[in-house]
Amino acid sequence: MFLNRAITTVSATAIVLAALSAPEVTANAATATFAAVADTYVDNSATGTNYGASGQLGVDNSPIKRMFLRFTVSGVSGTVSSVKLRVHTDNVSGAESGSGGTFRAMSNTTWSETGTTWNNQPAIDGATLGSIGAVTANSWYEIDVTSYVKGNGTYSIGVTSTSTDGADYDSRESGSSTAPQLVVTTGTTTPPPAGDVLVGAGDIADSGSGDSATAALLDNIPGTVFTLGDNVYSNGTASEFANYYAPTWGRHKARTRPVPGNHDYNTSGASGYYGYFGSSAGDPVKGYYSYNIGSNWHVIVLNSNCSAVSCASGSAQVNWLRSDLAANNRPCTVAMWHHPRYTSGANHAPNTSVAPFVQALYEADADLILTGHNHQYERFAPINPSNQRDDARGMRHFVIGSGGAGHYGFGTILPNSEARNSDTYGVLKLTLSASSYTWQFVPQAGKTYTDSGTTNCH
Amino acid sequence: MSSLSRRARLLVTIVAAVLLAGFATGYAVLGRHHPRQASTGPVPGPALMVLSNGQLSTVAAADPRGPREVTEVACDRVHAAAATVACLEPVGALSATRLVVMDQRLHERQRVPLTGFPNRLRVSPSGRMVAWTLFLDGHSYATTGFATQAGVLDTRTGKLVTSLEDFAITRDGRPYRNVDANYWGITFAADDNRFYATLSTDGHRYLVEGDLAAKTVRTVRDNVECPSLSPDGTRIAYKSAVDGDPAKGWRLSVLDLASGTINPTAETRSVDDQAVWLDDRTLAYALQTSDGTNDTWSVAADGTGAPRLLVPGANSPSPLRR
Repeated sequence: MFLNRAITTVSATAIVLAALSAPEVTANAATATFAAVADTYVDNSATGTNYGASGQLGVDNSPIKRMFLRFTVSGVSGTVSSVKLRVHTDNVSGAESGSGGTFRAMSNTTWSETGTTWNNQPAIDGATLGSIGAVTANSWYEIDVTSYVKGNGTYSIGVTSTSTDGADYDSRESGSSTAPQLVVTTGTTTPPPAGDVLVGAGDIADSGSGDSATAALLDNIPGTVFTLGDNVYSNGTASEFANYYAPTWGRHKARTRPVPGNHDYNTSGASGYYGYFGSSAGDPVKGYYSYNIGSNWHVIVLNSNCSAVSCASGSAQVNWLRSDLAANNRPCTVAMWHHPRYTSGANHAPNTSVAPFVQALYEADADLILTGHNHQYERFAPINPSNQRDDARGMRHFVIGSGGAGHYGFGTILPNSEARNSDTYGVLKLTLSASSYTWQFVPQAGKTYTDSGTTNCH
Repeated sequence: MSSLSRRARLLVTIVAAVLLAGFATGYAVLGRHHPRQASTGPVPGPALMVLSNGQLSTVAAADPRGPREVTEVACDRVHAAAATVACLEPVGALSATRLVVMDQRLHERQRVPLTGFPNRLRVSPSGRMVAWTLFLDGHSYATTGFATQAGVLDTRTGKLVTSLEDFAITRDGRPYRNVDANYWGITFAADDNRFYATLSTDGHRYLVEGDLAAKTVRTVRDNVECPSLSPDGTRIAYKSAVDGDPAKGWRLSVLDLASGTINPTAETRSVDDQAVWLDDRTLAYALQTSDGTNDTWSVAADGTGAPRLLVPGANSPSPLRR
């Protein structure tokens, strides 16, 4: 209960414990420090209250206070040899405690910093990472979290205490010198992932320059190119394909397998789209098809323009999808279409018409779903068809509407949305390995946003 | 971080806690008796209502980064004035949304089914009129070819104006008609009849002054979007397209109605919001970062000073004057 404590007038000098400073490093090792990207605590004596914007974090057992920390590790290459979580106790009298709390991994990595309360708190449901004993005010403490933080990705850690004398830590709002941090040490550099490459985006070619920026990325990335619909704006005409798509992404037409979008269908029957891509786009009355890459990957293209080609359960398209999945004996499957089942974008709501696609793919243990439509990038955790986290059978959903058309903003951020960007054109590069996929968002020249990681196939 | 600022911050928290204890029963109790929410304490004293990732929330005006009461009421846009809280519910399948009008305890009083993407929402200062803007087609004011619909509900009589499109237009003193007319960003004057809004037509984006009872609007000035009338009724805060080109973004600016003088605010980032007046000198508005986080900022209305981060992780602000 820091609210009732007297204020001390101690020096501003941080007392950093010498023993905690420099981790042992090996040859070729590199160390990177990541400050928390979100932190907050909840309090069972104020069950509807959020503390995400405050400078303090509390753990206590009377009242019960639980602390939540989130980190995003990115840009780390090589084998992770050591990861330390560092937290700093508040510089106030009463921050000290006989127990600094028990730190555990959490499966929920997408809780809202300014919306989380006791009433809606995420479960602290993962492995115990360690505990901190007695703490004093204005000091650093460390927990070894190497068992949890394996590389690039988003990580969430929950902290509880059984002590009725709570401990108070500095939150990220206290400033970079006292914010919670992860210190990641990597060993020798590992080679880049090996496998076939599938690269692309949706919402691509118009009179602007975004399409040129993303086409320039394709010039340097080999492999199969995918699109995710809205290949041209605004009406999918043959002249738009000739004037906007052909000079940009059209340079890679021979290795492109496209997806049709709603703007492509603004021309009756999407005749501009099918006319331009020819047999690469499949049967013009269907728009759905599948193909294989290498010996382990199956790629399914679906048509989510459901008023033109039905997406309903029992429709010809969904029956074909189920047959195609049943006949597929490859261990890894990626599916793609235009309209996202889940999206946090402000401009197009999550689309329920494509739910039969998602259900059939989930039942067949498919691995990931690529969509566009909202002009931005978003990546979800592995989820079931109801957008609940599912690490056993869940599929990652991506929205890659970053192909060149003007960006849209975000609305309410959905649960399980792990990464988002609305100001960078770019393509998603998938490296398809024998039993896993590695994704990498490749930004347009001059921009720095990226997002990468690896997930095993089911 | 100096110990002094830390102490100052802690003091604010303590003051807020004292206020909470002393005034909890004396102030309006937003969310306290809401049937969809477990019992929690309200924030003390004058407050700001905001959306925290779509959840209706309140923070103390004196400590907007302090404890935040988060309700389970979900909205795409919220606004409150006097005893009225208005919420445009999250859009669902087939662009369906609803306007929900609530009292200060978030008990529902009225609801209006609507179609379109919630964009702007404003309660008149008296709490009587509720005005909204929806995107029907297209999604960005920065483009051409979008369509909006702006409507008004009189919460006292229940009378509904679903669109201003039927209102008679006077442009530059002459009667005017054009099927391309789009309205957005309604703001009401104190008499609950006179209002301002944006009328887009013929390549212009006009500030119009309207008369709800007479169903008329007249153009006042060009390149004025999303007007917001000051509490004293003398000025309009609005977004002004840079070089008159919405594709270049907007400068948050203030128009003095009597003199016609324009003051750009010190906020140089592009603001795409209908600003609110926290008082007669201060504006609040939301900006979104590239990862989708909304933050509420404030800036002086007279062009001085610098923007200040008011409520992190929040948008759709409205001051609750009590």
